Amino acid sequence: MLSRLRLAFRFQESGLLLIILVLGGFLTLFSGTVRTPEFRISEDGTRERVFTVDKDGERVPSFVERNKFLNAQNLAQLAKDTSFIAIMAVGMALVIISGGIDLSVGSIYALASVTGALVMHAYGADGSHADSSGLGIFLGVSTCLGVAALCGLLNGGLTVALRVHPFIITLGSMAILRGVAFVATKGQSVGSFPSGFRDFVRFEWGQNISVVPLAVMILVTFLGWIFLSRFAAGRRVYAIGGNELASQFSGIRVNRVKLGVYLFSGLSAGVAALLSLGYYGAATSGDGQGYELNVIAAAVVGGASLTGGRGTALGVVLGALIIQMISSGIVILGIDQNYSQIIIGTVVIAAVVLDNLTTWMRRRRTLRTTG
Amino acid sequence: MAFLEFNGIGKRFPGVVALDDVSFSIERGSCHALIGENGAGKSTLGKILAGIHQTDSGTILLDGREIRPATPLEARQLGIAMVHQELAFCPNLSVAENLCLGDMPSRRGWVDRKALRARARKMLQSIGADIDPDRLIGSLSTGLEQLVQIAAAVGTGAQVIVMDEPSSSLSAGETRELFRLVRDLTARGITLIYVSHRLEELFALCTTITVLRDGRHISTGRIADTDPKRVISQMIGRELRVETPAHLSREPGPEQLRVEGLASPGKFSNISFSVRAGEIVGFAGLVGAGRSETAQALFGLDPNATGSVIVKGKTLPPASIEAALAAGVGLLPEDRKRQGLVLGLNCRENTSLAVLPLLTRLGWVNRRRERSLAEKYATRLRVKTPSVETLIAGLSGGNQQKVALAKWLARECDVLLIDEPTRGVDVGAKSEIYQLLDELACEGKAILMISSELPELLALCTRILVMRGGRLVGEVPRASASEASLMRLMAGVDTDATESVAQ
Repeated sequence: MLSRLRLAFRFQESGLLLIILVLGGFLTLFSGTVRTPEFRISEDGTRERVFTVDKDGERVPSFVERNKFLNAQNLAQLAKDTSFIAIMAVGMALVIISGGIDLSVGSIYALASVTGALVMHAYGADGSHADSSGLGIFLGVSTCLGVAALCGLLNGGLTVALRVHPFIITLGSMAILRGVAFVATKGQSVGSFPSGFRDFVRFEWGQNISVVPLAVMILVTFLGWIFLSRFAAGRRVYAIGGNELASQFSGIRVNRVKLGVYLFSGLSAGVAALLSLGYYGAATSGDGQGYELNVIAAAVVGGASLTGGRGTALGVVLGALIIQMISSGIVILGIDQNYSQIIIGTVVIAAVVLDNLTTWMRRRRTLRTTG
Repeated sequence: MAFLEFNGIGKRFPGVVALDDVSFSIERGSCHALIGENGAGKSTLGKILAGIHQTDSGTILLDGREIRPATPLEARQLGIAMVHQELAFCPNLSVAENLCLGDMPSRRGWVDRKALRARARKMLQSIGADIDPDRLIGSLSTGLEQLVQIAAAVGTGAQVIVMDEPSSSLSAGETRELFRLVRDLTARGITLIYVSHRLEELFALCTTITVLRDGRHISTGRIADTDPKRVISQMIGRELRVETPAHLSREPGPEQLRVEGLASPGKFSNISFSVRAGEIVGFAGLVGAGRSETAQALFGLDPNATGSVIVKGKTLPPASIEAALAAGVGLLPEDRKRQGLVLGLNCRENTSLAVLPLLTRLGWVNRRRERSLAEKYATRLRVKTPSVETLIAGLSGGNQQKVALAKWLARECDVLLIDEPTRGVDVGAKSEIYQLLDELACEGKAILMISSELPELLALCTRILVMRGGRLVGEVPRASASEASLMRLMAGVDTDATESVAQ
């Protein structure tokens, strides 16, 4: 029993899972309940209120008592909120594991959103090319992803070609890309897309549970995990982050790998942007302000090391979930919103300290086994 | 009467007994050699004395008084200083600032530059070091920096100085300077504890010697009463036999590597030589002679290199690692931790690092093949590790070096450029590495071996090339090679001086 337990804890992300379970239990216990109106699906497929007869014989709408945290809607909401950050965090994980940093993801997210939005707007009901075939959606999606990938390539290319620390390059591109988004939209919100696109992303399963962002998040996490743990290219990312010189001495094309990780990071911001386009049905150049910090925080909480060479895709996604649980927990528990930044900042630092502690303990253990 | 006395010193690190009941004493003003294999506990003992580690048991007596330095600062106040292998200074500050770092001369918070410089100059002069106090520490060579460390120790009134591998990265001239200084310091009554691997140095400098093995005290005595062979057998607990390598008895195969007119501005010029299959060709030279740079250029790491490198009859395009790899060239770099291995990865991942494309289909790494490959070479090279999944950082230096070598064997490289294969490797693992290199040569690998340890070149190589100041100055066949003849070539006209050092 004990050995099986120990085996379970050798699984790298077990600590994060434990934190999530504890956090979830805590929120369930202390969040209290909420009365929500009860609905059911009638025979003709529409939703209708459920009525009961009270003790005075009157017909009254019925309510159900639900735990504020542990109910399907809230969890779906949490998953949706997490997915935007988590998807970008997978891209960020690649960059951070390779020993770099990408501060521009929030701006890439904004620029990809507005360019995609401009194209889809043109093909939408109010646009100049109004058109009911899927062409508009196809072009919009391609633009959104293409722009994001291009931005990532730009970051990678400049980092490699100019030999400047990626912090500087992406700090610059963070401002530049955001600026381009403002210029492209003149600061206006862009909306009115072909309806098919919104319907797809907002597709709901059961009652108000939107599944598309969640599914995309799971897909991206899975792809990121497979890439990092099973692909040769993923191994090279760890190698470069662990020791760039030794990687070069082993014949790894370091620059190519670096280009790749920034490309992926940009692309992941594009995927998140695409989801937000469909989900909110509009984009402005101010979208995703400050996302870079949430994404980096998620990666770090999830065990990616800023010195490079360490981290997993699943870890950073769980990190994003932890951060999202805390910020939504603050709402659920009715804590003053003004405290939320203080709490999240504290969590980031605590997570890293905890991580250093476990790394130290693991190193002690390896020292003991190898003498 | 003993000036410094260790009584039953014990020190445990997690999982390792570093020192176990070590007792011996040192006379005032002597130069005391402390020797042992890696992990024998000699550095730990030095660090306990210098206040970096604390003892678990036992006592240290300095001049009859019990001391227990808890921090390096406390040790300093007791008159004990340590000269480290690694950077002990801030490279971004000047020599003077570093020398006075603990006690900056100042007036109302402002640094008194004049007093600072004067004090630093006085400290440097006291050991006869001619260093400009305004130079940045980062711009000094390792040798000069060590002098500054010694100046700092002497200048703060140290009575005992622990020197940890002081000559490991010094040039011949710097080593000579160090030796002069060591003799000068002992003449002044300062007690030195000299930790080193290099036996000839210890025998030239020290008056007394202590041998440690596996954390235990083996012997202490006057150096005149022992000899290097006995010390080695005490260190490893058995006789080290140097057998004639087996590859010499075989006829070398076809030419595998041919270098013609290789040059790189500011590093080396006009290098031409060839290596045949089954040969181990040595590359001797002083530090800075351009040997490692030449090997790196052969491997395609130098974008400025000109000349031609021909592997198995095909000329390699310049400055292309990929081409060198494709032709079957592998480089075991001199700095294992910085250039050779990714310490955050495990043995399996390090072994397969250069061979990934061959283990991969559609980007997907075949883990089973990777694992069996890693296990094959771990067994073949006798890597001591609990499993191939163990992090490389947890292995000893010798085993790390074997994994670094396995990386190229896994790629089936036929031309191996091997740079300082036994640096930082303990004596037992050294002889294993020699045997492995010999076996590889027998299998028909063409090996170019750079080493700063002449006995190792003399024991292993078919013939030895000598570099000096970026040029190839000679080739010595095995039969006529001796330490003296090689040294003469390596140092050029400076032969008398270098030989007098060894005496």
